Amino acid sequence: MHIPDGYLSTKVWIATDLVAAPAVVLLARRAQAKFDHHRIPLLGVMGAFVFAAQMINFPAGNGTSSHLVGAALLGCLLGPSAAVIVMTAILATQALLFQDGGVLALGANIFNMAIAGVFAGYLPFALLKGSRLGLFLAGFFSLLTAAVLALSELLISGVAMPPAMLSISFAWFLVSAAIEGALTMSVAVALERIQPGCLRKPEFAGRAWVTTGAVALLLGAFGWLVASDHPDGLEALALRAGISGRITSLIASPFGDYQASFLADPWLSRPVAGLAGMVVIYIACLAISRGIGATSREGV
Amino acid sequence: MRHTRLELWSRGTTFAHRRHPAAKIAVALTFLVCIATLQPSGWRIGVLYFVALTSMAFAARLPVPRLHLAAAVVLPFAGVFALISFLAGTPEKGLAMMVRAWLSAFTTVLLMATTSQPDLLAGLESLHAPRFLVQVMQFLYRYLLVLLEEAGAMRAAAASRAGKLRAREFRRAAAAAGVLFARSWGRAQAIHRAMTARGFDGHIPRFRSLRLTWPDAWFVALLATFAIVARLAIR
Repeated sequence: MHIPDGYLSTKVWIATDLVAAPAVVLLARRAQAKFDHHRIPLLGVMGAFVFAAQMINFPAGNGTSSHLVGAALLGCLLGPSAAVIVMTAILATQALLFQDGGVLALGANIFNMAIAGVFAGYLPFALLKGSRLGLFLAGFFSLLTAAVLALSELLISGVAMPPAMLSISFAWFLVSAAIEGALTMSVAVALERIQPGCLRKPEFAGRAWVTTGAVALLLGAFGWLVASDHPDGLEALALRAGISGRITSLIASPFGDYQASFLADPWLSRPVAGLAGMVVIYIACLAISRGIGATSREGV
Repeated sequence: MRHTRLELWSRGTTFAHRRHPAAKIAVALTFLVCIATLQPSGWRIGVLYFVALTSMAFAARLPVPRLHLAAAVVLPFAGVFALISFLAGTPEKGLAMMVRAWLSAFTTVLLMATTSQPDLLAGLESLHAPRFLVQVMQFLYRYLLVLLEEAGAMRAAAASRAGKLRAREFRRAAAAAGVLFARSWGRAQAIHRAMTARGFDGHIPRFRSLRLTWPDAWFVALLATFAIVARLAIR
């Protein structure tokens, strides 16, 4: 599920970086403003725990074994915004130290597993008020969302895949999602037995906007990805959801077809668009961190 | 373990090791973008980058074949998709994917083999990455080995007592994960108390200050220009 560098087309990795980087900066700033510094060692150790828990093999029937991915569990234990930060730290460490997932593809991996994975897991958990079914569905939807997003990003990037292969991988996703759901549920139940009260009481007040924002971002970004690659699909999509069409034109306009329009030759324009995209992402993140930093300092 | 090997390599004192981490991150990102946008017809540039990156590794006195191998970790995943491309009748696309994946991984390994983890995090912070995230990464790295060892010991203990876990022992494995969590949680609280007692106020002091110097500026300018010019000039 960790996409390495070299697979995604320039459009896709820039688009996902463009969504993931500001979202992480925003959540990190909010988390920093809200928690005091004693939460930091805790979050770091939780990240290390998920790494270590991935070493425990769970028997998954007929001789194979599986391990925890952990996005849903972290969401249920720490709350969604802290869980996104911890998952991001895990993914960055995996990319840098273990070559598990690429550096430019980090945005895509963070978008799939940290942002979408955590929120897709947290929603059923919060809606079902932390019941066992809620925990199972948390793990199930978290993994399914992440896997389907990863597969669609690869497909949009032009990785050829015969239809038979697609249905096989989808069946495999369903199985792994069910396993992740069972794992999330049984680990959380075991935790409650050892250390009662460690699961978060799901609450929506004040968090609702984060969730809504993340879902909107997710839909917008996905719409953009689909729209920017299939020009025919753009109108259909804009008709179905007026907003995503507007977002598309708003964000995608500087780079037209994701090839800087002042350089007609695609040979030149691809790397130029790539480098320019990196600069844009960096400036956007700086602006967000400055803006939020200023307001949060006033608040604290 | 792979990352302890990287840590050993990153302790060198060559010119590349001594450069400011932010400079190395900038160069690595430029190379990564240029590699990621390579097309199947651009194999000459791929060869040039391979030669350039490998000679950089030699200049940094690193064990080059082992670095090449470390980057090959991405190939199994790459191989699956290359095989699919081959079956779908576009073998050159699959091959280009494998080459890009391997070159990118090698660039990352080279960055990590010349930059220690604390330096890398300091570099990220000097590039204005959110400090909260950087500190979580710092603690994650600090306690990763400790908890991995604990998980390994628990696994060995469980295997020696009960043999291989069978399907109905799913719950027992979950309980093991729960125990690991409870221990990690307790450890995190103990760490925090110890750090507070030593005056921890939210950031960890550095022994050696990092400053951008002229050699750093030349390092970035030359290597980034090389990567971009090579990418744009050669067809």
